[in-house]
Amino acid sequence: MIKPLDDFVSRFGTQITFDENFIVKKQGRYFLLSENVKRLTSEGFHYAGTYLGRVKDGKFFPSFNLLNMVAQKKASRINIEKKAEWLFICGRDVFEQGITKVAGSTKKGDYILVLNSYGECLGFGKMLRNLDRKRRGPAVENILDIGDFLRRER
Amino acid sequence: MNVDKTSAILQRLQSIGISLEKVSFLDHGYWVCEAKFSVGATSEYLLGLYSIQEAAAQIPVILFTELENKTVLDACAAPGGKTVQLADSMHNTGAIVALDIRRQRLTALTNQLERCRVKNTVVYFLDSRQVSQLRGGFDRILLDMPCSGNFAADKNWFNRRTIKDVERNAGLQREILAKTVKVLKDDGEIVYSTCSLEPEEDELNIDWAIRNLDLQVEEISCHGQRALTDVFGKCLDSSIEKCRRIWPGHTQGFFVCKLKRRKAA
Repeated sequence: MIKPLDDFVSRFGTQITFDENFIVKKQGRYFLLSENVKRLTSEGFHYAGTYLGRVKDGKFFPSFNLLNMVAQKKASRINIEKKAEWLFICGRDVFEQGITKVAGSTKKGDYILVLNSYGECLGFGKMLRNLDRKRRGPAVENILDIGDFLRRER
Repeated sequence: MNVDKTSAILQRLQSIGISLEKVSFLDHGYWVCEAKFSVGATSEYLLGLYSIQEAAAQIPVILFTELENKTVLDACAAPGGKTVQLADSMHNTGAIVALDIRRQRLTALTNQLERCRVKNTVVYFLDSRQVSQLRGGFDRILLDMPCSGNFAADKNWFNRRTIKDVERNAGLQREILAKTVKVLKDDGEIVYSTCSLEPEEDELNIDWAIRNLDLQVEEISCHGQRALTDVFGKCLDSSIEKCRRIWPGHTQGFFVCKLKRRKAA
């Protein structure tokens, strides 16, 4: 049941061990429950516990909760400076000159977490090219950022 | 404001040009005095480090005692400001059951839960009058009632509301009270609130609850004036004065009180 979650997390070069007894799936959406929440969750629920993401048309869309869980692990990541942070949460790609720190694999096509200077997860993206030399221009394609909370309510 | 990170968040907000002033009657509430941009669009907001909520509306949650590890019902939860405040006060322990019957507003509620990393809440698209369909009893029940609002928060209030609306809302509030009290544990607490200033939705409903639902009003210590005990020439139970009426001024108009099951004599 949790293959889409495992597959997604593995793209950051890490893994999370989920206890399937505490994961429920409803209409393609995955939720991780605590024992207390599980006790109160019956069939007709709309949302429960920690929302992890959803599968739509065969594609997995993570939640920010899941990205934060990935960020707690030794996952591929970049930290970006303040101006790049603002541009990223407005939906823009990350330019190489905005990156202040790199950890894990940063090869072209890899998924990578995008963190601010406080180490907080702003979203994730896909490496547009290898990050192995100083070069100007876009380096990480924005796939999901926290500005989505504003855009989704429009 | 996230109760565990208040001072760090304050410093961060000040550093980006947001000037705040402490709300005297709230431990974790701040007025926004000046901001160069929308406080609802900062990284800190989107990361769930704080929420935006009217000051008086933050009072009901702080009236509960011992929220950690409790089972809490938020009977009319959307758009979720108080649900997030509850979860924060509970440090994500225990469990909250959040109900609402407006499906569109459930989206706003679940977005808030995800943004603020709430982990202890189950949301149902359910009329709170049908709460007995759900499992278990509740230690704490928040009844932030659907109400007629007030003229301080709504400039067209006098054009949009009639006495019939007020009476209909008061009736609905009594129904919700009567149904939810059945799932309150014996030593549980109910906090009842409205943003209405109409006595029908406030003091008169609590007077009715005392007489019909075996509830008693608890003493509370919070912002606001003691409630009315003489309404439209009718003398209400004297314990009603323990409720609080917050007249519009710095905040919107508000009414709040805490109820428990009446102790056997």
